Amino acid sequence: MSLELVIRSIFSTFFLASVIRICTPIILPAMGGLFATAAGTFNMALEGIMLWGAFTGVFVSAYTGNVWLAVLCGILVGILVSMILAVFHLEYGVNLVLGGLAINLFSSGGTVFLMYTLIGEKGNTSILPSLSVPNVAIPIIKDIPILGEILSGHPVFTYLAFFMVFVAYIVMFRTRFGTHVRAVGENPEAATTLGINVKKVRYFAIGISGALSALGGMSLSMAYLQMFQRDMSAGRGWIALAAVNLGARHPIGTLAAAMIFGLADAVANQLGSLNIPSQLVQIIPYATTIIALAVYAVQQKTAAIARMKKFQEAHFEDIKAHGETAD
Amino acid sequence: MKALLKTKGFREFLRVLLALAIGLSLGFIITCFVSKDPLASYKAFLFGPLSQLNRIGDWLEESTTLVFLGLAVAIVFSAKQFYIGVEGQMILAALVSGVVVLYAPFPPAIRIVLAFAAGSLMGFIWGVVPAYVKAYLNASELVSSLMMNTIALKLFEYLLSTYLQLPKVSGIMSELFPKEVRLVSFIPNLPFLAETRALWEKQTSVTVMVYVAIAAVLVAYLLLYKTPFGYELRMVGSNNKFARYGGVNVKRIIMLAITTSGLFAGLAGVHVALGIHHRIVLNMSAGLGFEGVNIAILAFNNPLIVPFASLLYGYLRAGADVMERTTDVSRELVTIVQAAVLLLITAERLLPVIQQRVTTQDDEEHLQEKGEANVA
Repeated sequence: MSLELVIRSIFSTFFLASVIRICTPIILPAMGGLFATAAGTFNMALEGIMLWGAFTGVFVSAYTGNVWLAVLCGILVGILVSMILAVFHLEYGVNLVLGGLAINLFSSGGTVFLMYTLIGEKGNTSILPSLSVPNVAIPIIKDIPILGEILSGHPVFTYLAFFMVFVAYIVMFRTRFGTHVRAVGENPEAATTLGINVKKVRYFAIGISGALSALGGMSLSMAYLQMFQRDMSAGRGWIALAAVNLGARHPIGTLAAAMIFGLADAVANQLGSLNIPSQLVQIIPYATTIIALAVYAVQQKTAAIARMKKFQEAHFEDIKAHGETAD
Repeated sequence: MKALLKTKGFREFLRVLLALAIGLSLGFIITCFVSKDPLASYKAFLFGPLSQLNRIGDWLEESTTLVFLGLAVAIVFSAKQFYIGVEGQMILAALVSGVVVLYAPFPPAIRIVLAFAAGSLMGFIWGVVPAYVKAYLNASELVSSLMMNTIALKLFEYLLSTYLQLPKVSGIMSELFPKEVRLVSFIPNLPFLAETRALWEKQTSVTVMVYVAIAAVLVAYLLLYKTPFGYELRMVGSNNKFARYGGVNVKRIIMLAITTSGLFAGLAGVHVALGIHHRIVLNMSAGLGFEGVNIAILAFNNPLIVPFASLLYGYLRAGADVMERTTDVSRELVTIVQAAVLLLITAERLLPVIQQRVTTQDDEEHLQEKGEANVA
């Protein structure tokens, strides 16, 4: 395929639809990570919780034949696993990074262990008749020529993901709970003096991150694919964390960052049809993450220096105006 | 006994033992649920590595890799940098050292030396990017090192399958390294050891890397505890701001801590390529990624304890292997046990029972003495 064709396909409706599709399993855990990070409990375990969500969804749907029960169970398992981290961190002082790593180890090993125990396979669950969630055709939009192709016909999780951004924004900035979360993250001591139960808020924030990560995992195993694969979250949980950082802990910023990764991934997929080796192309989203992190860090630094300078200048002017000596 | 209990090291040791005991019990409970013959399965897990000479060999080989990984992580963790990109450094080092051994136009001995140098240098270089963005731009080393791991794995896969792939083989692998660059057995070639050596060589492939690992432990210890660099590194780890006020160039130390740890991670790669697989194959780092973290935590980031932690986890990993091959329980059980141990050890406020009892006893004695003094 020639480069021209690739470029043309990048500007096609199909491409934009694929960006939206690829973003879904990043946006959901990112919104979860946002709550945890905002409450001051950076949740490293998103990656592992996604695996549990994906795993539970597939097995429950295969054994019961009920998609929605499977989704519900997946969410509950996600919350349960996140509570392990919460209890060990909040009650027993486990470092968040190490605790998160432990949960990821437990998830990666535990899902494969259970998969082997239940069906005797270690790679994937393709032999199971698991279900996927239905796609949604949006009534009016689906008939609009271009917009319909881009926006309509995605799996339920995709719409849920974008809806969650909206919900996260409302909860974070328009509710009592959101204010508490931000207060606890900003200054736990001050929050305590105001009578906020810091621990309780953090439990809820970590629980939310567990539920949303599990949904993200299920969007991989019950929409993107129709089976569970070992380690199928493949770094998306970490990319979601990076998105939270880059999005300055704001739902809209986080969404934008997650979309950038989705875009990088989708471009990589398109380039894969050129003669460029697929492994090199697959590096793009990860390299993008590092570059974005670096750029963001530089920006933060210059902003901080600018703030300092402004403050200094204001101070000097103050001194001049009042004729004080700077001793 | 009580004097012993008062030393922090001994209390920590007891804590680790307790954590291990709980972790292994958890493993047994899980085995009871999934295995038809739990006792036999768990026996294979716990005693399997000792049952045959070749299994002892596997254990020692595995542990050697773990020593290098554990040292690498212990160094960065000593500077309190949550850098976990050891896997990427290791896999690329394995690739580079393999290429040197296969294609460098030199006599075998020089090729081996070059392979070691190239491998550890590769580990060093792969640490530069995350080290730089952390030290000079203050971007999270955690996320960037995780990204670098994935990039390294993809790069490895690409280079291996494009340039080194053996034709007409189903698996993705390079050709075997020539016989003359194989590392020699760790048992010296002495007349009275000839029989043992022949036996070990026939059944195992434990190489002189064992001695390299021991040397690496000493080097890491001296580096961390007997040099100004190590002192500054630990100071950055215990109190970053204090170190900066004390005139330590914190950025330089962070940069060097991450890259230096790459030297050790690189050696792990060299060992995996030259000592274990004798070729470059896909998935050679399988499951080793976070093993270094497990070991560094178990060893309290102390290089001198790293070999013991490595032998322990190497043993459990080898045992899990035996269990998977001989019983109906999957080897991932060991990951679950390790995760539990990691959580329990890092739980500062859990398992402090021993410590509390000693201190309260002390207080009571003090009170009693005071009381007696008052009475007198």
